Amino acid sequence: MNDVQSTRGGHSPRGAGKSTARRREQLIAVSFLLPAVILVGGLVYVPLARAVYDTVFATTMFGTQPQFVGLEQYKDILGTSTFWTVVRNSLVWTVSVVLLQNVAGLAIAVLLNQNLRLLGLTRTLLLLPWVLPGVVAALLWRFMYDPQLGLVNALLNSAGLISKNVAWLAQPTTAMAAVVVAALWKGFPFSMVVYLAALQTVDRDQIEAATVDGARAWQRFRYVVVPSIAGIIRLNILLTTIFTFNYFDLIWIATQGGPLNSTHIFPTYIFQLGFGEFQFGDASVYGVIAALMLVAVAVLYLRELRPQGVR
Amino acid sequence: MNRENGEQPFSDPRSELGTKQADETASPQLRRRRIDLGSPGSKRYRRTLVLTLLQLLVIAAVMLPLLWMISVSIKPNNEPFAIPARLWPNEPTLNNYATAFQPEFRRYFLNSIVVSVSTILISVTAGLLAAYSVSRFRLRGFRHVLLFLIAAQMVPAATIIIPLFGIVRTFDLLNTYVALIGAYVTITVPVATWMLLGFIRSIPPELEEAAMCDGATRLQAFRLVVVPLARPGIAATSVWLAVVVWQEFLFALSLTTSRDMRTVPVGLSDFIGQYGIRYGDLMASSVAVSIPIMVLFFFLQRYFVAGLTAGAVKG
Repeated sequence: MNDVQSTRGGHSPRGAGKSTARRREQLIAVSFLLPAVILVGGLVYVPLARAVYDTVFATTMFGTQPQFVGLEQYKDILGTSTFWTVVRNSLVWTVSVVLLQNVAGLAIAVLLNQNLRLLGLTRTLLLLPWVLPGVVAALLWRFMYDPQLGLVNALLNSAGLISKNVAWLAQPTTAMAAVVVAALWKGFPFSMVVYLAALQTVDRDQIEAATVDGARAWQRFRYVVVPSIAGIIRLNILLTTIFTFNYFDLIWIATQGGPLNSTHIFPTYIFQLGFGEFQFGDASVYGVIAALMLVAVAVLYLRELRPQGVR
Repeated sequence: MNRENGEQPFSDPRSELGTKQADETASPQLRRRRIDLGSPGSKRYRRTLVLTLLQLLVIAAVMLPLLWMISVSIKPNNEPFAIPARLWPNEPTLNNYATAFQPEFRRYFLNSIVVSVSTILISVTAGLLAAYSVSRFRLRGFRHVLLFLIAAQMVPAATIIIPLFGIVRTFDLLNTYVALIGAYVTITVPVATWMLLGFIRSIPPELEEAAMCDGATRLQAFRLVVVPLARPGIAATSVWLAVVVWQEFLFALSLTTSRDMRTVPVGLSDFIGQYGIRYGDLMASSVAVSIPIMVLFFFLQRYFVAGLTAGAVKG
């Protein structure tokens, strides 16, 4: 990797002046980058800048010209209890989904890594929820949780765990837990596949050495396997955090953020503010705050990436 | 494409990381294993039994909702829902699937296909060129350009949807493919660049240098040496993007208002809010909508898994 530099300059065509060849290479280098830079710049960063702009300028009733209001709009939003509900929901949702997906993903990966039969078929079947379109998964779970017709109540009833039907998605006390379970089902295969690939990189000799030294299964897992895939665990937690924090489809279809805002997270609330109530200014404030919260995560994420991936 | 071709370039990016991953992961999941059951009653036999039971349990738990979806989709509309719910209908029927093939749904499929294919073509092209440029030329500032491209993944879609909607409205592009593709590209170009970077880095620069020594220009070397070798990476990236784009919901919901321009996920979500949800039709349509991506996934699964792990295991 470090000798990439040699591809430039080192092999300038004979005869042609070195600087001409080099300039041509540079031209190619830059023009190859342009499409991606223009698309990402124009469609991600320009709108992002626009969102920030919209939050510090406001159109007042008296003038059509936007007035600079500084952080006034942020102060207003931070003073509402709804904002803090959305923050709390986002944290509860993200932390629990990420934890459950990673624990389940790792546990199942460890199970599948034990020389079982039909590994390929098993992996294909377990990946299906992840390939299933988000809207389909959301509609399916909405139906699963249906108080009268749903499978969840039917199963719990026949197991004797509940005595009368529960409207899982319609009461503030259970709605969040219900969507978290659905998200676990939908998203764990991602972690599972990543961890399955990671487990195959663990040095077998080390595990054998630990066995010879008398380490039990749990000890081998804890002191040999986990340390050797620790980097991947950290990276995967960060990735799933970003996915989960931004995940819109499931909650929007299942509950629309209700009941009583009990499942509103940033993406769903931003959408409702913007396209339900046409409060574009407020929506942008929420949007910028959501982006800032992710930046905190992003800093960690990039620090994870830098040593080996991105340079 | 045969297995050797598919597998080999994928194992390379990780070997480049200088970790011990390389040899062990050449074909991680597909390696055939000899399974020694041991004699009945032995400790190993019991262990295998318990693990297999666990395996079946996990499969059952994960598949249960999917099986139920299928079972409801073939339940006749006049067969009342058994209370408590029953897992299989008495007289299965395919009538519900008619909904999924009505003209409006056919239109949703058309829209989804047009938008997905265009988005994937644009993103893979832009991503491949950018990844090649960043990995082969070491110009000043390229590291920051790469960061600029990849960091875009961190910007929440919900944050840019509001200004994007404003821009789209200003240019009178609501309800157009251009608007949808433009919005989707914000998600897919950064991902494509990142994934393809891993694959491009696995192709030794010496191959192009050799071609250029033989008189090929840089562009010819790229087209005739790099692109063919990057094919498995292009396939992996395309499958990944297809899964992402086929189910995209937020942008499609925001940027289309006319029924004619809806994509499949938005069309499906219309079922909610209709007078009492017709679950039979809904589940049939859901299955129908999932089939294209499932089929694609089934055939290209190997690339898909490679792409998934290239993205994450790389770090």
